[in-house]
Amino acid sequence: MMLLELLQDMALAAVPAVGFGMLFNVPARVLGYCAVLGALGHGLRFLLLRAGVPIEVGTWIAATVISFIGVWQAQVLRAHPKVFTVAAVIPMIPGVALFTALITIQQLYVKGATQELLTQAIDSGLRAFFIVAALAVGLAMPGLMFYRRRPVV
Amino acid sequence: MIETLSRRVGLALGAEYVEIALMANAVTVAVRIGGRSKATVRRNEDRGINMGVVMEVQRLVLEAEAGRLNHIQYRDQLLALKPRHYPRWLVAIVVGFSCACFARLNHADWSACALVTIASAVAMIVRQRLAHLHFSPLIVFAATAFVATSVTAFGFIYELSATPKVAMAASVLLLVPGYPLINAVSDMVKGYINTGISRGAYALLLSGATCAGIVAAMSAWKVWGWLS
Repeated sequence: MMLLELLQDMALAAVPAVGFGMLFNVPARVLGYCAVLGALGHGLRFLLLRAGVPIEVGTWIAATVISFIGVWQAQVLRAHPKVFTVAAVIPMIPGVALFTALITIQQLYVKGATQELLTQAIDSGLRAFFIVAALAVGLAMPGLMFYRRRPVV
Repeated sequence: MIETLSRRVGLALGAEYVEIALMANAVTVAVRIGGRSKATVRRNEDRGINMGVVMEVQRLVLEAEAGRLNHIQYRDQLLALKPRHYPRWLVAIVVGFSCACFARLNHADWSACALVTIASAVAMIVRQRLAHLHFSPLIVFAATAFVATSVTAFGFIYELSATPKVAMAASVLLLVPGYPLINAVSDMVKGYINTGISRGAYALLLSGATCAGIVAAMSAWKVWGWLS
């Protein structure tokens, strides 16, 4: 049952990774990497969340893993890893939280501040912020840890 | 990335030094060759992201570094690069399915997913059309969000699905400025605070425009899907 859910999660993450890759004109032969890495990353985060890891930490670990695989594959492909790693983390971007925060802020202005609206705005805003930060720092990990003074490719 | 790439190609093609200063919408490059130096400033316009071109330029730099290209060949090949785009209808369909997958990830039912596919594909066509007409990205994002939310509002009005709220939220996910947001943070992590802040501010502005579109559509159809 768990395995089935994991597979479904990975398959559902692969499609947006490819979709957004196409939006950014990632060449067709690299789109496969987007799909596989997107599925791997989202699947890994799914498992970590199930194991009770907080979402920011899970996101960070997943993005780090994607980035390390990306660096390794980049040397094979002779292309900058960002060409496919960013598309691969797109399924993990907290889009709903980001928009919820902004819409709630608009509602705060229209309806006046209430406890509920304030809580929702701050909660979802912080959630979006921390997850995006975790993604970006995770993607930067190989550069921060190992490729300090030399380029990846 | 721009900085290291330009520096490497310059040194590979025989410059003594290459210094680059990056700004939010311009690049300054100073090169010294044979005792003479030259500095130039180039404006960069927002033309969308084309990873294919990024990849090809990187290949050329690697070739030049390996000594297989001299500066004339490098220049010819660089100018010969053509940005390749996917056919628009294909992108629209794939983006539609992507957003449907997002909806499914958030436990929407199948009819909601179908609704999201249609809404996002239509929205993507609108986005491409408006971008082609050179409207400001802010207007493009607001109009696209309006269209997507309007289509999913039918899910509420005609009770097409048990989870119309998820459908409405997922249909605008094609507008999340993911690349600018991630690049903003990663720029700042690498020490380019200026470009990071400007990219982050622009990403927030685009999200704000998207929200304006969503709110406009929600009040036009009297469907408050995001808030219930």
